[in-house]
Amino acid sequence: MSSVELRKVDKHYAGYHALKTVDLKIEKGEFVVMVGPSGCGKSTLLKTIAGLETINSGQIVINGRDVTREEPGDRGIAMVFQSYALYPHMTVAENMGFGLRMANRPKAEIDAAVKRAAQILRLEEQLGKRPKQLSGGQRQRVAIGRAITRSPEVFLFDEPLSNLDAALRTQMRVELSGLHTQLGSTMIYVTHDQVEAMTMADRIVILNKGRIEQIGSPLELYANPANIFVAGFLGAPRMNFIEAKAVSVDASGVSVAAAGLPALSLGGIDVTGLSAGDAVTIGIRPEGLRVVEAGDGVMPVFSSQVRLVEQLGRDTVLYVDASPLQTTNSDSGTGNFTLQLNKVSTVAVGATLRAGFETGDAYLFGPDGRTLTPRKPVAST
Amino acid sequence: MSRLWRRNRHWVTPALFLLPGLILFGTVILAASIETVWISLHDWDGIGAKTWVGLANYIELADDPQFYVSLKNNVIWLLIFMLAPPIGLALALIVNQQIRGMRILKSLFFVPLVLATVTVGVVFGWVYDPNFGLLQLLFGAFGGTAPALLSDETFVTFAVAAAGLWPQIAFCMILFLAGLNSLNDDLIAAGRVDGARGWRMLRHVVLPQLSQVGFIAIAVTVIGALRSFDMIAVMTSGGPYGSCTVLAYQMYQESIFSYRFGYGAAIATVLFVIMIVFIAWYLNGLIKAERSNA
Repeated sequence: MSSVELRKVDKHYAGYHALKTVDLKIEKGEFVVMVGPSGCGKSTLLKTIAGLETINSGQIVINGRDVTREEPGDRGIAMVFQSYALYPHMTVAENMGFGLRMANRPKAEIDAAVKRAAQILRLEEQLGKRPKQLSGGQRQRVAIGRAITRSPEVFLFDEPLSNLDAALRTQMRVELSGLHTQLGSTMIYVTHDQVEAMTMADRIVILNKGRIEQIGSPLELYANPANIFVAGFLGAPRMNFIEAKAVSVDASGVSVAAAGLPALSLGGIDVTGLSAGDAVTIGIRPEGLRVVEAGDGVMPVFSSQVRLVEQLGRDTVLYVDASPLQTTNSDSGTGNFTLQLNKVSTVAVGATLRAGFETGDAYLFGPDGRTLTPRKPVAST
Repeated sequence: MSRLWRRNRHWVTPALFLLPGLILFGTVILAASIETVWISLHDWDGIGAKTWVGLANYIELADDPQFYVSLKNNVIWLLIFMLAPPIGLALALIVNQQIRGMRILKSLFFVPLVLATVTVGVVFGWVYDPNFGLLQLLFGAFGGTAPALLSDETFVTFAVAAAGLWPQIAFCMILFLAGLNSLNDDLIAAGRVDGARGWRMLRHVVLPQLSQVGFIAIAVTVIGALRSFDMIAVMTSGGPYGSCTVLAYQMYQESIFSYRFGYGAAIATVLFVIMIVFIAWYLNGLIKAERSNA
């Protein structure tokens, strides 16, 4: 039995279709991260699970019980808000025990639950304080503690770390993952930060414009994005996209031509609905590109000028002038191509280099954005 | 010159901005208050020469039965006015519901605030009229006769204060409505997730967020009750036989009708001292709130 199940969930606001027939099954004990650009509906989806937003049609089932019409307090969920949403007039202990108090639990039970949560989150010293007297990280812990004391079936997190500074965010990320292992509860986590998604999730749900684009484990989504949106969304720096044209299509593969590149012959392509002359997109991850010496045997090669060099310590990210390639949808600005080198590079800005990639690392996306290249093995170390 | 300016501008600029307000406050409030205290130590008809009498006005006041009537009535006003914050809150909670037609109701409740106090006084004067007033119509419907509230020594203060209460409730309602509009949505959501609803949501999540507004509503209502004057002037002129007068009205009467400016100033000074207790409490609360927000 799955822990949370969404069946054809539809949500409209006035003149705006926020969730479009969302189907989703989340298993017991799973850590699912919902991620997507702002306005994709991820927070709305979380709020519909919480019951803070009603849905126009569909069904929400938690632990086998249809809770579609139930109040948030009756659904067996707890939620951690981005703003923490701690009751400012209550002490830390009162904040954490409030849910049980509203459920009319005996005081001894409330105290025990609060104490246990405080122990887990190292908040014993703060129990008598008000939220105002706490640091951002401590407030976040209290918000999590308030969720823990209710011992819910499902934890819901709405961008809980986005108000913390970078160092604290990394620390809390590790702590939250640890907490998930310790409690073993189902957790649904919304974020726009793909690092959080990649590092914490058992499964990632990628949302775009109110629709689920793809569901899968982080590495699976990274290696095998279902479409150009997922390919572009996961990975930093982003995947490079090259506008191209299918020259010839047959059962054995596709021949693709792109301005500035030698013709590419890609095998194992899903050619359904694809015909010669169609506009396609070639995708190549920054780490799939390499600097090529003259005469090297690697495949498609183009030369270009280095515009910016970012030294990351071990890695180097190079932004090079993409012309004459036609790039689209890249976050380094149109007209740039991104290379991530697995070493410190001494390349200087203004230098000309030859970049190339192996055809096996390239992705091909059809006119509708669907991935056409065959499955790639999930990265292993 | 420019050097002098640079060295001093850090205090000259704010001082210049504060100056108009300070001058106004200094002449209209501070100087006037001090002069009032000064006058209260004299016997003065308002035109001729002042005669120094020391504390004689205050000693006379302490023996004046009318003074105690005024004081008692001020307390009654205060107690009745204390109904305004809770009733205003209740109305705000009702009209804040998302129900069709609530906007019209909201505007209707807003009306007494738009009316001049004098108008409210006159309207209530008609309501209380024992011959053709609304009250008489109500009593008449049950076959009774309405008491002549405004000429009854026992009821008159209550009747006038009730008229003053009407706009005060509307004012409190507006304050609480503004407070309800600025509630933190996330806190309400957190309360819903925690299973708080109905009365307990109100008590534990909503009302604590309104405490600041509630404080202002109470403070403003206290001060409003103490300085009540216009309603009495319009409805009864303090009568019958001075039975519904309050300190502010008695001061006005002594000064303007009896030409006893010194005595009136002494009453004003006593009222000022009473007020200052509440104002100090109010300012203290405001400063505390400001500090806790910083």
